[in-house]
Amino acid sequence: MKRTPEQKLLDPRPGSRIAAAAEYGIDLTQLVENLRRTPAERIRRNDDVVNSVRKIEAAVRRAKAEAKSK
Amino acid sequence: MIDLFDVARRLSAADVQFVIVGGIAIRGHGGNYITEDLDICYSRTRDNLKKIADVLAPLDPRPRGIDKDLPFVFDWTTLQHGTNFTFETTKGDVDLLGEVKGIGGYDELVQASIIVDFEGFPTKLLSIPSLIVAKEAAGRPKDQAGLQVLYALREAESDE
Repeated sequence: MKRTPEQKLLDPRPGSRIAAAAEYGIDLTQLVENLRRTPAERIRRNDDVVNSVRKIEAAVRRAKAEAKSK
Repeated sequence: MIDLFDVARRLSAADVQFVIVGGIAIRGHGGNYITEDLDICYSRTRDNLKKIADVLAPLDPRPRGIDKDLPFVFDWTTLQHGTNFTFETTKGDVDLLGEVKGIGGYDELVQASIIVDFEGFPTKLLSIPSLIVAKEAAGRPKDQAGLQVLYALREAESDE
């Protein structure tokens, strides 16, 4: 029986490229979640993640600057 | 705040001839790749250069890595005098590529792309097999994780 992309990613066959990706460290559950979104939603999410990371980086920089000034 | 989706959508809305390549294309196919720039391969016709300039000009594009105090004029003739550009804009970094290693220029990329909906505007993404060709041709260590994602997505979407 033909398996869906989601089924293949959640239960990769031994020796498959998907299994190799998991072995490499790719989080296959994130691919499954992304495939449930539209392409537009996937790219908007990329923007959201980058913006969140930048906020965290700015907060870390501020904290380091404050620590130095004390 | 970056908004690369909006940049791509504006380009599509203006009927610019371009194909999204690189990390945003991987992301568009379902990859969990995170990227801070929008890479596009574009047609180098005069009409298209003018359309690109019209879309990007309001986003205050400047070449990345260049002293901000240096004067820089951005218009379509700027694009005419080069092929590959790396710009920073008010909505994030945008790279314009005249061609992609392993595949070719815009005309070849169109044949190797799929069309997706960007909230009302059809937009071309380089296909998964062609992204693999491009990443393999680039041969950069930093692309290895992206390649693993692409191999997995290609297999997941295969008819096997």
